[in-house]
Amino acid sequence: MTPFLKSMTLCGSIAALCSPAFCQSMSPMRGEVSSFTETFAVRVFPANPYGHRINVSVRVYDQNFNPVAARITPQDFMLSAEASRPVLVVVPFDGAPQRKVRICTESVPFPGEQTQIKAQICGKFLGQQRF
Amino acid sequence: MVSKRVGDFMKIRACCACLLVLSTASPAVSATGPVLFDGTIVAACTLTVTQNGTLDVSTDLQTLSSKIGTGSPGSVTLVTTGGVAVSVDPVTTVTVPVGDPATTWVPTYLTAGATNFAEGGTSNAISGPGLSTVTVHLVGTKGGSDRFSAGAYSATVIVRCE
Repeated sequence: MTPFLKSMTLCGSIAALCSPAFCQSMSPMRGEVSSFTETFAVRVFPANPYGHRINVSVRVYDQNFNPVAARITPQDFMLSAEASRPVLVVVPFDGAPQRKVRICTESVPFPGEQTQIKAQICGKFLGQQRF
Repeated sequence: MVSKRVGDFMKIRACCACLLVLSTASPAVSATGPVLFDGTIVAACTLTVTQNGTLDVSTDLQTLSSKIGTGSPGSVTLVTTGGVAVSVDPVTTVTVPVGDPATTWVPTYLTAGATNFAEGGTSNAISGPGLSTVTVHLVGTKGGSDRFSAGAYSATVIVRCE
């Protein structure tokens, strides 16, 4: 089994906590993942509560809101009205035994106006490396 | 005599049939069994921007604000299970006319509804579930002799639930 597939398997436990039909905006918002590889994976479900389609971005930050070089699939996408879709986030440990990250779903539902409000839903996740 | 015997036989047969039905049906009538339901609600938060804000300038041209004149605050509906925190970020994305002197932007928010927080800029924890309306204000100010010049201004305020 490749490291990626191992991470995918591990993230299944978090993804199973909350199906997209029962959660809105982004779920889950908390989670702990154990991984035997150099990365850990989380599957999140951004959702669009609006009656029109919106641009959605998924970003990963550390505890100080510095960007983290994670693999996000997909990172930017259009989400139709009241829809949800899975996004896979693979985060490197970068040599640390554990890593706390924020995975955030961001959107500006009404762009082009004078004072825009960007809604950001962030989940907190802890990855722990097992040897 | 023969007809009476046939009648008795029919009564006995009907009685036996009745007993057979009762003996077959009674366990089903008295049977009970629990049907269990369980579920887990994980922490969840939904932010729905219902209205962006607008800014108006003060008479001394040193303040551009959602609180004065024709300015209006932004509005966001927040629905949560609790166990989350709401906050606004410092403004980093602004569009101003070319050559406009530096502006200090201060976003603030207040909530009303299931959770009530007075206006401020710091993060607040929401412990309980419910729906709240988040009102977002933005004030830009210039210091010294600087003034807002003519042109289009826009800024993005990040409202976060985590």
